[in-house]
Amino acid sequence: MEILELNKISKNFGAIKALDNVTLSLRSGEVLGLMGDNGAGKSTLIKIIAGNFKQSSGTINFENKKVQFSKPMEARDKGIEVVYQDLALCDNLTAASNIFLTREIKRNFGILKIINFSEMFKRAKDIFKELKSETLPDEEVKMMSGGQRQAVAIGRTKLSAAKVVLLDEPTAAISVRQVAEVLELIKQLKNQGIAVVIISHRMPDVFAVSDRIAVLRRGQLVANKLAKESSPEEVTALITGAIEKA
Amino acid sequence: MTEQTLEKTKKRIKISNLHEIGLLIALIIVLLLFSFTTENFFTQRNFTSILRSASYVGLIAFPMTFVLITREIDISVGPSVAWSGLLFVILIKWYDFGYLTSAVIVILWGTLLGYFIGVARTKLFIPTFITTLALWSALRGYSLFVTEGRPIAISNKEFRYFFGGDILGLPTVTWIMLGAFLIFWFASKYTVTGTNFYAVGGNPKAARNIGINVDRVKILALIGTSLFSAIVGILFVARVSSGNANLADGMEFDVIAAVVVGGTALAGAVGTMTGTLLGCVFIAMISNGLIHWGIDPDLNRVVKGIIIFLAVVINSNFTFKSNSGGPKED
Repeated sequence: MEILELNKISKNFGAIKALDNVTLSLRSGEVLGLMGDNGAGKSTLIKIIAGNFKQSSGTINFENKKVQFSKPMEARDKGIEVVYQDLALCDNLTAASNIFLTREIKRNFGILKIINFSEMFKRAKDIFKELKSETLPDEEVKMMSGGQRQAVAIGRTKLSAAKVVLLDEPTAAISVRQVAEVLELIKQLKNQGIAVVIISHRMPDVFAVSDRIAVLRRGQLVANKLAKESSPEEVTALITGAIEKA
Repeated sequence: MTEQTLEKTKKRIKISNLHEIGLLIALIIVLLLFSFTTENFFTQRNFTSILRSASYVGLIAFPMTFVLITREIDISVGPSVAWSGLLFVILIKWYDFGYLTSAVIVILWGTLLGYFIGVARTKLFIPTFITTLALWSALRGYSLFVTEGRPIAISNKEFRYFFGGDILGLPTVTWIMLGAFLIFWFASKYTVTGTNFYAVGGNPKAARNIGINVDRVKILALIGTSLFSAIVGILFVARVSSGNANLADGMEFDVIAAVVVGGTALAGAVGTMTGTLLGCVFIAMISNGLIHWGIDPDLNRVVKGIIIFLAVVINSNFTFKSNSGGPKED
């Protein structure tokens, strides 16, 4: 089933055309590798899907219904989760507080809403257990390793029944051993029927997990094909422009 | 508890409370020092006096803690207090408004001023340092212009005795400050709003990406200092029985010094209300003790300058080294 369809999406920043008529769709349980050089429009596309930016033209269908997100919260409510490149973590907060940021569990005392830390710690602990990560819910993020930080960021997507997870450079800032952990996690998401988009510069990582590869160059979609029908060499050529289209 | 978690727990206590414990020890040392070297320091009367001055500073220092945590600053609070007090008195004496109506108008003024500073920061991208520096000059100047430098007295005894006096042995302003402390302490620890101040200070870009309205959080923090400056302006009038353009001279320094001494990082993200409370008492106690030592008030300012410098040195080099300055804003 097509869960997400992008129809002729364009985005202008003033005179700059960041995205130009991009049409792309995504199925449940599919991992899409989104590739392209710096400034090709990958992050812009992710941010439009996630509700950070509004497209200049074009439409988005989610579960066969037309949607328009004006803020990240709306996209998240529908089940679209993003793990940002810099992980979007606040170092001065605990792992649990980071996971629940903007979705804190609260106890209501009349008009007074108090954060329920013990419940948040408990849920966060379960999430880390599920991710097989040794991360302490009540530890501040600034004390953590790259892999633990990644677990916190991915832990956020576990809060809701995510249907689409967008990962922006998930393997860029971590060690080799941790890359394997993250790739394993992406496979787990796929097996649960979640549609995953992974943006990465690291060709081997993308080919290790992706079912399909899409390549953006200067805001235009120049390739959208099955990973097994492509190769790292072809994708590199597409990214640089050595091959015009595939 | 396993050995590992025990160790982690210890580490956490160390990081989050080290500064407050250190400050408490420093406070006790200073207290003993002044008590043993002067005659009239260790008296109930003098402690009331210390508490009173700590309370005026504290009322603005608590919202200032949130402002600094969100990586902003408000240096206009001294002139803002003076002008708010004057506005209060002018409304009563020149325009025959009632006390309550005047207070409501002044508090409304404070709220709007903070909103203006916040909007200038978030929509016009003017650093709060610049906006509040401009206000620092403008508000003091206008206060002096309007009054020609002369105080305007008020006569209402009930108002003066209640808000400028004592209740149950403690200054009224101290009770109000303690109430404000509880609210700010609670907000900082157990509410979403409080968490958002820390999130915005910790990583503004992340906070924005994840859906926190960063602009609104900053505007709210800045409304805090202006609003409480207005309240302190009214309370000062009750204390000195008049509005005066020269009131609260240098108060912005005392407030920011108290917050920084209390462990809040000027770079944002880190700080606690308990630390700020201790910082207020610390600054007030030093000022008071130096007077008892017979040190010239001008030199008193020199000492306070040294203290704030040392506080930042300790802050950024020992206890909170890993915290000061997180990721930069986009």
